Amino acid sequence: MSFLRAFKYRRKDTPVHRLDPRSKFLLSIVLMVVSIVFTDIRVLLALVAGQLILLTLAKSLREWLSSLRGLLFFFAVIFVTQLLFGGTLYTGIVLSLRLLALSSSMSWFFLSSTPEDIGRAMSVAGLPIELTFSFTMAIRFIPVIYDEFQSIYDTQRSRGLELEKGGFRNRIRNLMPVLIPLLVGTIRRTYEIADAMEVRAFGASPKRTTYRPLRLKSGDYLVFLASIILIILALVLKLVYGVE
Amino acid sequence: MVKIDVENLYFRYPEASDYALRNISFRIVEGESVAILGENGAGKTTLAKNLNGLLKPTEGSVKIDGVDTRSLSVARIARKIGFVNHNPEHQFFSEKVEEEVRFGLRNFGFSEEAADKTIREILSVFGLEEYRGKNPFQLSGGEKKRLAIASIMAWRPEALIVDEPTIGMDYAQKLNIRRVLRSIVSEGRCVIVITHDVDFAASICERAIILSRGEVIGDGRLRDLLSDDRLVEKASLRKPFLIELEEETGLNGLEEDFDTISSILMEVFQKCRS
Repeated sequence: MSFLRAFKYRRKDTPVHRLDPRSKFLLSIVLMVVSIVFTDIRVLLALVAGQLILLTLAKSLREWLSSLRGLLFFFAVIFVTQLLFGGTLYTGIVLSLRLLALSSSMSWFFLSSTPEDIGRAMSVAGLPIELTFSFTMAIRFIPVIYDEFQSIYDTQRSRGLELEKGGFRNRIRNLMPVLIPLLVGTIRRTYEIADAMEVRAFGASPKRTTYRPLRLKSGDYLVFLASIILIILALVLKLVYGVE
Repeated sequence: MVKIDVENLYFRYPEASDYALRNISFRIVEGESVAILGENGAGKTTLAKNLNGLLKPTEGSVKIDGVDTRSLSVARIARKIGFVNHNPEHQFFSEKVEEEVRFGLRNFGFSEEAADKTIREILSVFGLEEYRGKNPFQLSGGEKKRLAIASIMAWRPEALIVDEPTIGMDYAQKLNIRRVLRSIVSEGRCVIVITHDVDFAASICERAIILSRGEVIGDGRLRDLLSDDRLVEKASLRKPFLIELEEETGLNGLEEDFDTISSILMEVFQKCRS
């Protein structure tokens, strides 16, 4: 679960944090699509390098690095499945790089944008408030659920549970004492939040206002431009040069 | 019997810049009843998790019977030192109360026969036998707490750490939990209670360790520490009701007969209300 740290907003005053969430979101989506479309190791390395620059500008490199420990498990799964089902070490490296590029493309965005900003950006894009609010809440509750997971995990370890013990099936079965209380707690909280929202007249007025309207600045236009250039570059590489 | 030695313990969470616990040293021996008191964020739960190996010291050491917790698994420590989370629902996952108790017993290698016998006994001791087949999530707050303690006490750890046992409890439920914890103390086992509830702590524990901002600011006889105005204020606590009553009335030794005085006061209170 430690990889979730890479998606938790940290309040900082950096050029990346000050950008409008819409421009950041567009660049993030473009980076994500490019990392899905390409399997060429040079493109993936360039993508990761570019994102490292963004993370450095956002002063969030430390958080990103600490989340890598959590991703190690997924890298291991990729390598094992590749080796078991006819892949090579090289394809394992490429797929791991792709996963890294993919998670990083979202990581810098979430590390530098508040859930509220993301919700506002979605509202401006015309999405219904029920959807944007649910999305915002889901993001805001990731750290809460993570803390609860940790607390439940600690409690069950104090009762002699050893997740790392036994074979694969046993380990999955051992997860149940952690997942069931987490699920029950999350469902209960959902109902409580729904009640708390209803008693404060959520959805009573169809026309909503915002006290902090979003405004694009020169830096945002630069990010839009960078996104468009990246799309064009990706199309040229794919269609003209036939890069995989 | 168990002996916990804490020597110059410093603890810092991985992403934190400051220590959550600083220079903590004390020893807890068999049969002691200890309250860990302090304001919110003082480091009480962090200290408790260091005592049962869920967290390992950043500097210094915690030793259980002379063995450093760094070299012991949580499961091995848990066999000796039970830990009850402040939220009992964080441990429930079974459909039946008896299965909830069985979980720990299975983990510690009890045979099914021995587990059956233990479950029967422990549910009876904790007044939960009538709920044996019931879903743990359907119990009341007090019953859930008792079940949480019962499911730990089932394997008879030598010490028990209970985190915030009275949160969300009404008076009758508190009395039940107090009865349960007192019976554990009377068996000669060590009980460590982490709480804000000074009246509850005073009714169970002889000794108190008071924390403030990650440091121990008082360690000694609970009654003496909580009579100290300066210490009580520094730890954002208040004096237990009986100590206040003694100071107001000039009577001594009221805590010797806590139950009688509590019930008299409850009676007076109810008469005043009616």
